[in-house]
Amino acid sequence: MNYLKQLILSSTTILVMGCETVAPWDRDVLARPEMQLSTDPMGDALFEQVYLSKEASSGGYKTAGGGCGCN
Amino acid sequence: MKLKIHRFTAMGCPCELRFYGKKEIEIENAFSECVARTKEFEHKYSRYLDDSVTTTINRSAGKNRTTIDQETFALLDYAQVCFELSNGFFDITSGTLRQCWNSQITELPSQIQIENCRSRIGWEKVTYSQTEIFLPVKGMELDFGGIVKEYAADALVASARENGVEFGLINLGGDIAMVGPQADGSPWNIGIVHPAIKGATIATIELGSGALTTSGGYERFIEIDGQRYSHLLNPKTGFPMDSMLSATVIADQAVVAGSITSIALLNNEKEGLRWLENSKLPYLAITKNLDCLGTLARTD
Amino acid sequence: MKKTDPLLALTTAALSLPVFAGTPPTEKEISLRASSYEEDDISKTSVLSGSPERYKIDKTHFRLLTPLGSDWSTEINTSQEVMSGASPWGTFSGSDEQPSLIMSGATIRDKRTEVAVSITNYQDDASYGVTLGTSREDDYKSRSISLSAGWDLNNMSTLGIGFSFSDDDIEPTDAEKFGRIQQAKKQTRSFSVSWTQIINANSLLFSGLTYTNKEGFLSDPYKLRDTRPDKKTEWAASLKYRIFIDSKNAALHLNYRLYNDGFGINSHTVNAEWHQNISSRWKISPRIRYYSQSQADFYLDADDFSLPKTVNQSSDHRLSGYGAITVGIQMNYDLSGWKIKIGFDRYISDNRYGHDSSRHSHPALLDFNLTSLGIEYKF
Repeated sequence: MNYLKQLILSSTTILVMGCETVAPWDRDVLARPEMQLSTDPMGDALFEQVYLSKEASSGGYKTAGGGCGCN
Repeated sequence: MKLKIHRFTAMGCPCELRFYGKKEIEIENAFSECVARTKEFEHKYSRYLDDSVTTTINRSAGKNRTTIDQETFALLDYAQVCFELSNGFFDITSGTLRQCWNSQITELPSQIQIENCRSRIGWEKVTYSQTEIFLPVKGMELDFGGIVKEYAADALVASARENGVEFGLINLGGDIAMVGPQADGSPWNIGIVHPAIKGATIATIELGSGALTTSGGYERFIEIDGQRYSHLLNPKTGFPMDSMLSATVIADQAVVAGSITSIALLNNEKEGLRWLENSKLPYLAITKNLDCLGTLARTD
Repeated sequence: MKKTDPLLALTTAALSLPVFAGTPPTEKEISLRASSYEEDDISKTSVLSGSPERYKIDKTHFRLLTPLGSDWSTEINTSQEVMSGASPWGTFSGSDEQPSLIMSGATIRDKRTEVAVSITNYQDDASYGVTLGTSREDDYKSRSISLSAGWDLNNMSTLGIGFSFSDDDIEPTDAEKFGRIQQAKKQTRSFSVSWTQIINANSLLFSGLTYTNKEGFLSDPYKLRDTRPDKKTEWAASLKYRIFIDSKNAALHLNYRLYNDGFGINSHTVNAEWHQNISSRWKISPRIRYYSQSQADFYLDADDFSLPKTVNQSSDHRLSGYGAITVGIQMNYDLSGWKIKIGFDRYISDNRYGHDSSRHSHPALLDFNLTSLGIEYKF
């Protein structure tokens, strides 16, 4: 998993260095609902549960508790 | 639920706190907190007090940088937003124009006097960072008056809530912010003062949450040779604005409402009306002809 | 000058003022979502015995989010699912070497209920939250707790960490009748760290890393032959990119997740969504997802009854190597505080779509339709 961690760290470091500070008056776009990381929490929860029980992968979104007797 | 009203003076205006509470002692505590906080703001940003942040910054104009704190930096950033959105008309350095236009003058200022004042205006000339600010021209002055009163109203809402008040309103010289509706859930009735007739109401607005501010040149005007001039000055020409009589707006935060109404009055009447429409907020605009326009307009 | 919405610009700037920083929600939100999940029936030729009818799940989810004072908020989620359908018991190698299934006979009707309560505290530049959850169905009980914290650094980046723990009890139905394990336990611990970076006024990037450790009974008790290790570690790394395209008045979402676990499965998930604003009321978002996983170390195309039960083995299609594509669309309608959301998605899987596929396409690889309807109200 080492190469993967390195990849994530380096991609985010490059971006941090390349970011211009965004002044408060330019943040109207970032505040838009369609620009949020999660635009539909209930919809996200539904998909997470479906894919968790029907595929072999999970996680990466957040740490979520709760299990299911997935069949 | 008891209702108590506390009146006091701060920032040169009559202020009022109306809070509901179960116990008198709780309401009194909330009053004291709010008054103390208002005095703190006044002390920090008043142009008239010797050791305020504003006076300290203004004294160093043309000489050296002044250190500022996080809150002042945030207010400067906010002033920058207003400057940009108003195309430079909302300029917190334009206070020096008051030296040309004030209640003492008996005749129109000369072009030389105006140019003198205007040479010391220009937010775009100011440089600031998270920790410092520098006014490059001697005699330049910052005036937070257009922002701090409304910001204080929002801060008082937070203070009141922290002290357990759920139903109440804050009124700082006409800038009103709601802690909550009246105790029975009904909204407060707010009367908008008639721009021409002292003591009369031109419209009544019901408000249970959010904030309401009014900007207008009707209360403070300069009269010379029978002509009335607005106290709101155009930083680009050096002359008073020729705008609508007053604008009232409702927004979630008093500081936002205050900026929208101020900028509306820093435009000629037509542009000001268009600005209010564009803000998509409920508004009441009173034109020079005393026409009431806007979503809050009601025949009274 | 850029055409800016003045109200939005001022409000956003105002929210940076100390009085407003770290503002919790100011409005209450109440939402209801009903969804219907329906798998395509298996082709009868793949079924040796049992019902070819696959799973159908109808779910109702209720959510309430409310501020508590000026620094706190709480969220309650509760949902109920009704499930029915047959599920695969075992996979047999047919005479033509194509595997075929033995399905459970009667369709199962099971109900699952889940409740989760969260509380969040907001500071000037940080927020802290805790969530307690429980879920219950006829054969499965779960209790969980999760903690999370987020820190806002210089208004351009956010660091997040999270931890969760869940304790589950499994009590398979008809255990004695079918010789299944009667009672078992499973515990899951998970840690995550994330970094959200604002790149410029129109875009941002999220990156996250999650480590999970599972211990206990990890096998499928309803399969004729299914033995999995009693420990499993999982790593998941994800990137999420958001960019707003002014000229189109739309936002593009791109997500990627890389996954790897101790069973030998690694997977890639890529998804893209296009959030198109049509008017101030209508929004339409088409979406597409591509998924591909490799097979588990102990995966077998078909059950081998000569292997001792203690040896790790499974013919569960979910452990095979395959790929899947989901295509969907969502429509949102907003009207003064009310929101209506309608979504439709179609998922198809096949071992030919994968990056590291199993030799044979598992007959239980499923296709499904997912429809959902939601109503939300902010007040």
